[in-house]
Amino acid sequence: MIEIAVHKKLIGSSGPMKLDLALKLAEKSFVALAGESGSGKTTLLRILAGLEKAEGKINVSGKAWLERGKSLPPQEREIGYVFQDYALFDNMTVEKNLLFVRKDRALAKHLLELTELSKMKGRYPATLSGGQKQRVALCRALMNHPKILLMDEPLSALDPSMRTRLQQDILKLHKEFGTTTLMVSHDPSEIYRLADRVILLDHGTIKQDGSPKEVLLKVKGSQKFSLTGELLEIIKADVIHIAIIAIGQQIVEVVLDEEESRLFKAGDTVQVSTKAFAPTISLTGSTSHL
Amino acid sequence: MNRIPATITDIKAHDGITVISFAAMGQPMRMMALEIDSTLEVGSQVLLGVKASNIALAKNPVGPMSISNRLDAAIEHISNGKLLSSVKFRLGDTLIESIITLDSSHRMNLQRGDSIVALIKSSELSILEKL
Repeated sequence: MIEIAVHKKLIGSSGPMKLDLALKLAEKSFVALAGESGSGKTTLLRILAGLEKAEGKINVSGKAWLERGKSLPPQEREIGYVFQDYALFDNMTVEKNLLFVRKDRALAKHLLELTELSKMKGRYPATLSGGQKQRVALCRALMNHPKILLMDEPLSALDPSMRTRLQQDILKLHKEFGTTTLMVSHDPSEIYRLADRVILLDHGTIKQDGSPKEVLLKVKGSQKFSLTGELLEIIKADVIHIAIIAIGQQIVEVVLDEEESRLFKAGDTVQVSTKAFAPTISLTGSTSHL
Repeated sequence: MNRIPATITDIKAHDGITVISFAAMGQPMRMMALEIDSTLEVGSQVLLGVKASNIALAKNPVGPMSISNRLDAAIEHISNGKLLSSVKFRLGDTLIESIITLDSSHRMNLQRGDSIVALIKSSELSILEKL
């Protein structure tokens, strides 16, 4: 069990803010940290890593990392940290990057095999793709058998196909090593695939804490299909009204009745909701304009 | 979206699927749903939602029918467009709108004051909020 109860005064983007968090992480769990930028996600990771001071308590499997003002130095905390920008040693080969953390050739070999990087062990980071670099960073973070693996938006710099590949690697390594993981992520599909729990932070406090489905599923009453969009225009047609709404990169149309047409106006941010029974799905590329 | 106040009279749940029964102005209604909010229980007052275009109208329907929601009402207002027809009927204090084709409206010879049965499939009914 990892017990965290920390507080700290921060200067956020919208003025002073108090970080005040109390949470317990079960061993071997995979927890996603979500929330808007400035909500305290990265600060929590840095406090756990010992890179930032805070008041309170951190206890990891019975060992105090922070207690009564006494803070275990970062190098004595058994932490693996994966950053968005890889942070590899450019002057070392892939294998040396791993061995720098711990001279355990068998473990390095095993990790590189699991992530299919064995052939690249003699290469330098500059010759690798972003996805390959991040896989190396992931392996390196696991070299000293960390008690907690901290990942700060590890996949946000990668393109979608590479992201999916990395998600599989992260899952594979989590199954193999069972490392308790705390990952900052904004991507709902990534959180759903990887995490067994999501903690949503808001201005330094926990706003929601539950399973990915509980926290991520946007519902409006009993309507399980709910998306946020911007109302662009309402067009009157016959005895009905048609709302043109932008959702993400797409434009959709929704039929409104007369009362609704009076209730909303162009520029409004709206929830577009329907029951889970109504939408149909098909493979993309087969879009037709019937 | 039509909004119909109702009281929950029964909740059946199995395997993540829920069927909820309601009383709305004395008339029984039923809804098919996935998991529902855990605060909903028998006796809860809710606002049901149904889109005007998801309400069919019938006069003297005969024979068994799978549609769970059959509301007896009288037409209060008809507004015809070129192709569509907006038919409003009252359920207690609530005025409900149905959008049907003008052809159907003509075929059924719908007139103000006519008794009709409004038909709503249970999958097209939703709970908008708990009151």
